Amino acid sequence: MTDLRIPIETSTLSNGLRVVISPDRTAPIATVGVYYNIGFRIEPKDRTGFAHLFEHMMFQGSKNLGKMEFIKLIQTNGGILNGSTRFDFTNYFEVVPSNKLETILWAEADRMSGLAVTEDNLKNQQGVVGNEVKVNVLNRPYGGFPWIDLPMAANTNWYNAHNFYGDLTDIESAKLDEVKQFFDTYYAPNNAVLVIVGDFENADAKKLVEKYFAGIKSTQVPPQPDLTEPRQEKEKIVVKKDPLAPRPAIAIGYQMPERNTPEYYAMGLLEQMLIEGDDSLLRQELVQKRGLTDSIEGGINMLGNMFNYKGPMLLAADITYDPTTKAETVIGAIDAVIEPLRTKPVDQKTLDRARVKLRSSLYDTMGEFGGFGLMDLLASFALFDDNPARVNDLVSQFNKVTPELVQKTAQEYLRSTNRTIIELQPAPKDAAAPAKNQ
Amino acid sequence: MNTTIKKLGLLAIAGSVLGIAPAVAQKQMPPEGGPPKAFTVPATETYTLPNGLKVTLVPYGIIPKAAISLAVDAGQINEGSGRVGVASLTTDLMKEGTEKLTAQQVAEAAARMGSTLEIHAGTDQTKLGIDVLQEFAPDAVKLLADVAQHPRLPESEIDRLKNDALRQIALQNSQPQTIAVVRFRKILYVDHPYAMVVPTEADIKKLSLQDVKDFYSGNFGAQRAHLYIAGKFDGAAIKQAIAESFGGWNKGAARMENVPVLKPQHVLDLTDRPGAPQSTLIVGLPVPPSTSPDAVALGVTNALLGGSFNSRITANIREAKGYTYSPRSEISRRYHDGYWAEVADVTTQFTGPSLKEIFGEVTRMQKEPVTDPELKGIQNYLSGIFVIQNSSRGALIGQLENVDFQGLGENYLKTYVAKVNAVTSAIVQKMTQDYIKPEEMTIVVVGDKAKIADQLAPFQPSK
Repeated sequence: MTDLRIPIETSTLSNGLRVVISPDRTAPIATVGVYYNIGFRIEPKDRTGFAHLFEHMMFQGSKNLGKMEFIKLIQTNGGILNGSTRFDFTNYFEVVPSNKLETILWAEADRMSGLAVTEDNLKNQQGVVGNEVKVNVLNRPYGGFPWIDLPMAANTNWYNAHNFYGDLTDIESAKLDEVKQFFDTYYAPNNAVLVIVGDFENADAKKLVEKYFAGIKSTQVPPQPDLTEPRQEKEKIVVKKDPLAPRPAIAIGYQMPERNTPEYYAMGLLEQMLIEGDDSLLRQELVQKRGLTDSIEGGINMLGNMFNYKGPMLLAADITYDPTTKAETVIGAIDAVIEPLRTKPVDQKTLDRARVKLRSSLYDTMGEFGGFGLMDLLASFALFDDNPARVNDLVSQFNKVTPELVQKTAQEYLRSTNRTIIELQPAPKDAAAPAKNQ
Repeated sequence: MNTTIKKLGLLAIAGSVLGIAPAVAQKQMPPEGGPPKAFTVPATETYTLPNGLKVTLVPYGIIPKAAISLAVDAGQINEGSGRVGVASLTTDLMKEGTEKLTAQQVAEAAARMGSTLEIHAGTDQTKLGIDVLQEFAPDAVKLLADVAQHPRLPESEIDRLKNDALRQIALQNSQPQTIAVVRFRKILYVDHPYAMVVPTEADIKKLSLQDVKDFYSGNFGAQRAHLYIAGKFDGAAIKQAIAESFGGWNKGAARMENVPVLKPQHVLDLTDRPGAPQSTLIVGLPVPPSTSPDAVALGVTNALLGGSFNSRITANIREAKGYTYSPRSEISRRYHDGYWAEVADVTTQFTGPSLKEIFGEVTRMQKEPVTDPELKGIQNYLSGIFVIQNSSRGALIGQLENVDFQGLGENYLKTYVAKVNAVTSAIVQKMTQDYIKPEEMTIVVVGDKAKIADQLAPFQPSK
């Protein structure tokens, strides 16, 4: 069996910044990621969408780089960049020619040191983010389905159950002093990890990190609120009317076991068995045998993968079908696939295929886009577990999963009372209403 | 449909952006970094089997996987009138098993190697792909060869697959961006096959199994195919597997060409979408193909104008005005064909102002040469991106397929960066003047007519 060992060197600066370095000489490029321990779950309660709006502000200006100069600096040095806001982190990353590593580290350190943004910058980005919500949610069929709708419907704790993309009125109400306060609260070296992957000497990279980041002051970071969800005991069914949708759809989400438990790894394999690939059980039943739909979408963590989150999470699937089909028929077909997994141990061949698909997709993640995928795994494991070396231990954890554990996991976590279903119905305009928890 | 949303959501930058203000004197300047390291495009080995099948092997990287892709010159362009949609229906049926294996057996065989077999038909080519753990690469070649050469094309599945196609048509036609592309391509390509973006329900309903069989036998064959393998694999074992599994493939019918002759269509086309909070815009016109001597300079011009973060239109309508989230310009290409277009979803009330700014930026670039730092910046950007574009097995195959498909020659990738860096500001100005002409552009708008008709009036071409 092929194996892939990722070289990893970790250290912590005196200000608390955790640093992960992983050399890879395949191409003369370097990938830098800075991950802050502030996801949209814990944004202020009267400011939905604020964590994401704030992320945009990190591109608007810092001590030594004015509006758009950060982006210009990366691009004119031949690199690409972006940032994103997720359940449990906000990240900023660049892929650059490796000789420009120092330039990029200087720039990331500059904006970790402090923001320099104006009322005009904020107003501009409120317009941009408002347009982002329109293009991805409001002006399209199936907008927010199910990636926003399902966590909102399934969870009971506000931190997990609010509209993290944001109500437009909340986004438009944000104030500049709130931006500054948010930065002061969460954007500090002791609340972040820095990951560097690519073509460089470890010693050189470490020297540069020390040079540019060691002088940044740490802060007192507030304790995390309680993010836990109670055990779900009752199936939830929510109807969403969508005036733009031409076909009905169903999304189904099951609360996940806690991360890094044996059941968690078993659920990773259940995702492979149920959803991933043409051989998956849901596809074989719903697409091939019954012709109810043409594809099964979904997986663990609809804004990432099963490794880059920390709090409560769903294993979700969604299916678009025809008006001539009843929702109960689709749900019945799903149950016909899931129930056997709960009543007897899965056959070894199905489990073996799931394992090899998982390993293959893990390697794809690691090789994704110039080292971005590997950087993301290392950053997540450093941020959440203080152990980036987990990346080399994943395959063996999945290998420990037995057919009996798969059954036990399915019994508890693929219970119908552990799931939330959203039925999306095409609707005339005046009947439209946002998804509401019943 | 939802997978794309996942990738879109909550990113700071979907399109592009730019810096304008020079750094103030008392600020620190960024460190330069070290001297650039050499980059050479990974070496490839290409050969041709006696039946005409071309093969390209690219050993690459440390990830223990091999990507295998078969590009066949069979696409929408080959459908013929009355058979619109048959290329895609053929690929759907090709996934339904081979003479020896059922669909489920094919799916399980691919899964045991860590993959799923993908088949997609495009405007000019059908691509079959599989991306497996390295130890399975020879077996994966054999599986892909079986599917390509001996598809079962079962009658029993055609009604289900046609129904799936009808569902997909409804879904696609509900997206404003798709509606806009459909209009734009129809206006530009009229009755050429490239005009078709989404088939009609009637197109699909009239297709028969015989149409699929005719399309397959008339267009699939060794002399119209090119097999690419990139990543980690055992070279000798792969070559043997290729010879054994593809050596017996029929040569097939020769490839035919049908390059459209395009004329600019200066019209304003509005599709009403009552209540839409945004207007979806496509503004563009035909440009020379990628075989043109101007193609690289045109690519540089596009990157400056709207095709990068660092571009003028994006800096204007996103970062200065806040009218939109994800504006971009692109050069969209098919075989020896192409058009330039600016694409954006803009706030309804700023539809007219957005168009004014887009045309204003094009005109400005026609009138004034870009500055040297701006040009140098975009050249560095395109040179850097080129390295990233050649730094994964999948990306490498994509690059090589494009070069072979368009017939750009084996030196294209080796000389691309030098050509990018040879472009001058005078050339950029000339490209904009010669090819990006506002007075010849097609303007497609999908939005709330009641709210935007007045805003659009100034952009209505005079008869």
